[in-house]
Amino acid sequence: MIQLGTSTRGALSRERDVREAYAAHSGELYGFAVRSLGDSGLAEEAVQETFVRAWRAGERFDPKIGSLRTWLFAILRNVVIDLGRARAVRPGVAEGGIEPAVEPLDEALQAWQMEEAMRRLGEDHRRVLVETYYRGRPYAEVAAELGVPEGTVKSRVYYGLRALRVVLEEMGYED
Amino acid sequence: MKTRNECREWRELLGAYALGHLEGDERAGLEAHLEGCPGCREELAALAPVARMLPHADPARFGPAPQPPPELGQRIAATIAAEKERTQQRRRRRLFGGLAFGGVAAAAATAVLLLFVLGGGSGSTEPAQQVRFANLPEGISIDATLEPHSYGTEIHMYVHGVPSGTLCKVWLRGPRGASYPAGTFRYRWGDDSDAVLSSALDLSRTRAVVVDTGKRTFTAPVSSPVAALDIANEEEPT
Repeated sequence: MIQLGTSTRGALSRERDVREAYAAHSGELYGFAVRSLGDSGLAEEAVQETFVRAWRAGERFDPKIGSLRTWLFAILRNVVIDLGRARAVRPGVAEGGIEPAVEPLDEALQAWQMEEAMRRLGEDHRRVLVETYYRGRPYAEVAAELGVPEGTVKSRVYYGLRALRVVLEEMGYED
Repeated sequence: MKTRNECREWRELLGAYALGHLEGDERAGLEAHLEGCPGCREELAALAPVARMLPHADPARFGPAPQPPPELGQRIAATIAAEKERTQQRRRRRLFGGLAFGGVAAAAATAVLLLFVLGGGSGSTEPAQQVRFANLPEGISIDATLEPHSYGTEIHMYVHGVPSGTLCKVWLRGPRGASYPAGTFRYRWGDDSDAVLSSALDLSRTRAVVVDTGKRTFTAPVSSPVAALDIANEEEPT
């Protein structure tokens, strides 16, 4: 698990803690907000609202229940839902039935989590997973392109998946 | 009995197998090995959930993640500071409202209001200042925020990491090294609230904040917003 600086109960009620939490988690929260809202302006609004709500409810944060990161993501999730609702009641968007295909939020969170894990992977591992899994290319072809034996591509797939598991665990994912 | 090397060779195929990419002899061989090897079965079980999550991701988004604009953090801090200020104002108004009912209290409130009016010139337009205590021992953190007022300086002290119950004494230091007491407070473990203290020394004339925790004394410099005040030989408050 990622060790966080703030770990006492009510640890987000002071402005200083908010600054620390912002430094540690704003990048991820913003990344997910952009991913799910599809708009950088709305994403900024969502991240701002998340930290303000977290500060207001700071006394209720209890590290025994979950990490600060998990708590912030739970708040952001609610903020994104609220923003989505606000957008839906704006005239012209809900009418006409041409609502853009929006991913359900939990799927978006899962997708974002996996994409973030992929970003944190080493280049070699990410490359073989992209080529063999996402692009569906034969191992021999990928091996030739990389100038390594086919067995090396297979073992990189294995070590890549292992590394991915470690990264996901660090991010708080549990299966 | 499997040798460790044999296991490793099979094990390195587990990734491709978990993705459904293994075929023919390799696949049959690995499956035969798995039947007799609990260690490799366990390893496969650890990889399976990761393999199942792969389809959720969009490989077009594996590039660098968008970063929040640099000013967002400051905007959030400003929003929170403004909301805090509003809450404190409401609290003050409630306090003043309550006082107005008693005759003596009303007189006191008037006196305070007069002070606000008369003391208007003493630098109350300066912004609050964050003070950093550097070189603290491991595990101890001290922060102070100084707010200018007509009566002097309001000090919000935050101490963390000293033994619970520690008596902390606070002073402000003036331009010529004179100390102005700002009061005392006790640090209680688990209480993360700021201690609010005050001193008669104007913030514009405050050069340092000193905290004495009994065992040690910590000093943090206050950056002087108007350096010229050092030369002006003003009368110091007593």
